[in-house]
Amino acid sequence: MIGDYSMKKTMLEVNDLKKTYLMKGGRKIDAVRGVSFDVYEGEVFGFLGPNGAGKSTTINMLTTQLEISGGKVLVDGLSVKDSPEKVRQSIGVVAQHNNLDRGLTARENLLYHASYFGMTKKEADEKADYYLAKLGLTERQNDYVKSYSGGMAQRLKIARAMIHQPKILFLDEPTTGLDPAYRHILWELMMELNKQGTTIFLTTHYMEEPEAFCDRVAIMNQGEIKGIGTVEELKNSIPTSDIIKLDAQLSDKQISELAKDVKSVERATKHENDILIYVKEKDKALTQVLEWLTEKKVSVKNLSLSAVTLDDVFIHLTKGTHKK
Amino acid sequence: MKKISSFKVFTTMVKRDLVIQLRDKWEFIFRVAMLPFVLILVYGYILPKIGVLDASFPSQMFPGMVGMSMLLTGIHGTAVPLTMDFNNSREIEDRLQAPVKTGVVALAKMTVGFIESFIGGLIVLPISLIFMADQINVTITLSNVLPLIGVLVLTAITSACLGLLVGTIVKPRQIAAMFPGFLMPVVFTGAIFFSWESLSNVPVFQWLVLINPLVHINEALRFFMTPQILSLDIWYSLLGIVVLTVLMLFFGSRRFVSMSKNK
Repeated sequence: MIGDYSMKKTMLEVNDLKKTYLMKGGRKIDAVRGVSFDVYEGEVFGFLGPNGAGKSTTINMLTTQLEISGGKVLVDGLSVKDSPEKVRQSIGVVAQHNNLDRGLTARENLLYHASYFGMTKKEADEKADYYLAKLGLTERQNDYVKSYSGGMAQRLKIARAMIHQPKILFLDEPTTGLDPAYRHILWELMMELNKQGTTIFLTTHYMEEPEAFCDRVAIMNQGEIKGIGTVEELKNSIPTSDIIKLDAQLSDKQISELAKDVKSVERATKHENDILIYVKEKDKALTQVLEWLTEKKVSVKNLSLSAVTLDDVFIHLTKGTHKK
Repeated sequence: MKKISSFKVFTTMVKRDLVIQLRDKWEFIFRVAMLPFVLILVYGYILPKIGVLDASFPSQMFPGMVGMSMLLTGIHGTAVPLTMDFNNSREIEDRLQAPVKTGVVALAKMTVGFIESFIGGLIVLPISLIFMADQINVTITLSNVLPLIGVLVLTAITSACLGLLVGTIVKPRQIAAMFPGFLMPVVFTGAIFFSWESLSNVPVFQWLVLINPLVHINEALRFFMTPQILSLDIWYSLLGIVVLTVLMLFFGSRRFVSMSKNK
């Protein structure tokens, strides 16, 4: 994990990155709208955002898989646009979907991939043995990948991306589809690689993962970075430290009234089945909210008070809220 | 930074494809052999035997069978894996992430198509020998061998280039339509059952079929294998093969780069 940023080399430099898709009829869609950020050597960087935010499009551009419409990306000082081959030598990529060679065995997948990166047979065999064992695939290493379950394929994709010891590893939702035990093993592996100097750039839907492992996090929505910093910095960016979670039937109009009427409420928003009420002075707020609910005769199934989590920051930055 | 040999990466990619193909060798042999088998059986054996076709017809057809088998096998060997890779399995992504130019990946795919094309040509020989051995009048002289090999090499290259173009245009759901919509017209207008010169009574058709690379291939093969049958001037045939191949390679490469960059 990273210490002082100012002392670190910039491993990934993203400047005003844009992606525009030209649709039928000449319509243009701006999937990524001038995104800028840096990732430092040895950092674990989380890239979060709701579905369709532009995360995968951004990762695809950073990893030379997608043409850039505008801006500049440097990976370890090399331009993605001008030197894509050299950039690819420094990176490992775990795609969201299964892009393994299904007609090859797991071991062959690793060995062919290692060979593309100039590894000798001996080096490749050693690394393959190590990652296959680490990810629990040794027994099935000589089976064709087409016979693999989703979780096994996911583990193999990760092993493949790691085998050539990239300087920076890009993972697009790597833990999706993995059971908790293998999620844990994967994080252990990533931390091990990170300790050896590999920079990690990942997207995930599990908020506890960046909270536990990421040095910094960027939250993207509608093609723009809405917030960037350490988890603590992002939590502090919300104008409240506590949240009341309410399981109750409230209309949008009522949520808006609640935010307006109750003094201690900063803002309120609906998220899945819950109503999230961002408050200051939690004890006072709790009483006031309960009084308001009683007055409006709202039946409440469940109510809880908690400190702000990364999940809350995510919702705050990516969802519409009812402000005062 | 470690120096990566593009050639080594290229050979690894070719090896990977051949290993996979070898695992499905019986499916490959069946796919490659069936069309020439049926055509040779009907047009080369049964129809001449029952007197519907002239006894010299197998000689006319033999170069066309070699050309057709090579072209179709090469197209299939390049196009079908490409379209599946890009649109369905997305297996090609791993190779596109290799630290080499994108063109190396395309060249590896085409090389596999090139090799398969030659195997496709070879498969025609035993089938022809079984059904038409005593009816084929093929003259290959020592001086003809090298130019004939040159034409066969050109044919395999053409098939790989056409495969690259087709594989980057056709979507997996369109593969079924590729046979009646593309391959059948190529086969039946490809100067297999007739020589180009014999079309002089239908001049519009005669000129139209010149856009079909198989016509030029078969005319060139006919020139070297069955010189007794009138064929298109060899230089025109070679020019036709080269021009069409360059055009297909140009557009195929553009499509490949475009698809690999998800434009």
